[in-house]
Amino acid sequence: MLTYRRSLNCARSFGKFVVCSWKELVSVVFQVTANGVGLLDPGSETNSVEQGAKIDVTFWLAQELYLREAASINLPMHFNQKTRKEVQADPECVDLRSRCPYFYELGYKIAPMVADKELGTFISLTFNGRYKEILSKSHGAAFAAVPKFLPRLTKEETNLYEAARNSMIAFKEWRLGVSRLEGASVLGRKRKPIIEREEEGPMLKKLYNGENVPISIFTGELLQDPYAIS
Amino acid sequence: MYGRKGSQLVRELASGEAGQLTSFNNDLFDQVVRECNEHKLQLTSLFEKIKHDGLDIERTRNADHFGAVIHHLSLIRNKRCLMSYMYNRAEMIRSLRWKAGRVLPVEIQGKMTHSEEEYFKKHSAALESYMSAMDIDLTVDMVPPKDPYIQVRVIDDIGEVLLGDQVISLVRNSVHSLKRSDAEPLISQGLMEEFLG
Repeated sequence: MLTYRRSLNCARSFGKFVVCSWKELVSVVFQVTANGVGLLDPGSETNSVEQGAKIDVTFWLAQELYLREAASINLPMHFNQKTRKEVQADPECVDLRSRCPYFYELGYKIAPMVADKELGTFISLTFNGRYKEILSKSHGAAFAAVPKFLPRLTKEETNLYEAARNSMIAFKEWRLGVSRLEGASVLGRKRKPIIEREEEGPMLKKLYNGENVPISIFTGELLQDPYAIS
Repeated sequence: MYGRKGSQLVRELASGEAGQLTSFNNDLFDQVVRECNEHKLQLTSLFEKIKHDGLDIERTRNADHFGAVIHHLSLIRNKRCLMSYMYNRAEMIRSLRWKAGRVLPVEIQGKMTHSEEEYFKKHSAALESYMSAMDIDLTVDMVPPKDPYIQVRVIDDIGEVLLGDQVISLVRNSVHSLKRSDAEPLISQGLMEEFLG
């Protein structure tokens, strides 16, 4: 059915098919009647959705219906006044993941489609408030420790955190001059990054005369002077 | 219906460990395909109804039209989920050839369908014909090497292996100094590891 080139173009987009809001149900009010889709409305007795019916649909369907002027979208409750007050009070302590794991993405996609014009500013403020902590903790913390705020982060924030941590680990490995061949991760054999393993004991460096001396894993400098007479 | 099962399929893909192949979920895949057929039936029956009412099919915007639109959108969404599932699995399978070599471990082969195994074989054959035509092995030196030789420690008992022009006995926990290009595929398969001294 598809021509070869069209299917190739489609294929390229599948790699980045971010299925945000799969489970996210958005409340919409139908502006028209729709026949033959009674399954969407659990309260419907006929096989259709009546004009004015308020039902929860998945986000992608809500977006399409809005574009065709068939339904209007209600602001999801994650973005209501209660959440806004909590974020104003202390943005870092708000558990956004339990409210909506794709808080930011859903927010910016829904912002042009709802009546509330303050939504964009609100999301931006929330992110600004939380970003500082993510940034400092991801670059500074010891690698074995899991910060307490991690379960409160949305998926997007967790991705940022992981990216920063991975780049720090890669930097430290580069700093120590350790480059190793590893078994293919696709085969399922994982090894902890060398930094995490070395934190369990001092990193030793072999001197040219055969002695082993401890070095700092953070700077690579010698922790004691090998020529000192003890 | 309406794309929920399709989303479940893609979610399964996303929830697995990054880069790891999971078993092909035949049941869910078939369910999504059946849903596509169901949507198509509903769609065509609504179109028939519009034609039967004598209305212009391209310009009418009545209840039947919107119902048909919803079925059409769900169908497209399901199709996209199915293709995304297949495409991402195909990508993982292609990378398997580069990382794990020509022969796949049994547990991974069990997770692939028959057509995916065929795909792997053909991709592997295409790669090998290119490499032999160019007389170069593209799957080694994925990390730029600093040294042509490397110290390795053997993890699994491999036995006698012909490397270069020598036969080397690779016994468990023995340490050898090998050419990097020889050792790399074995390290990638997890049979040896780099020995750091």
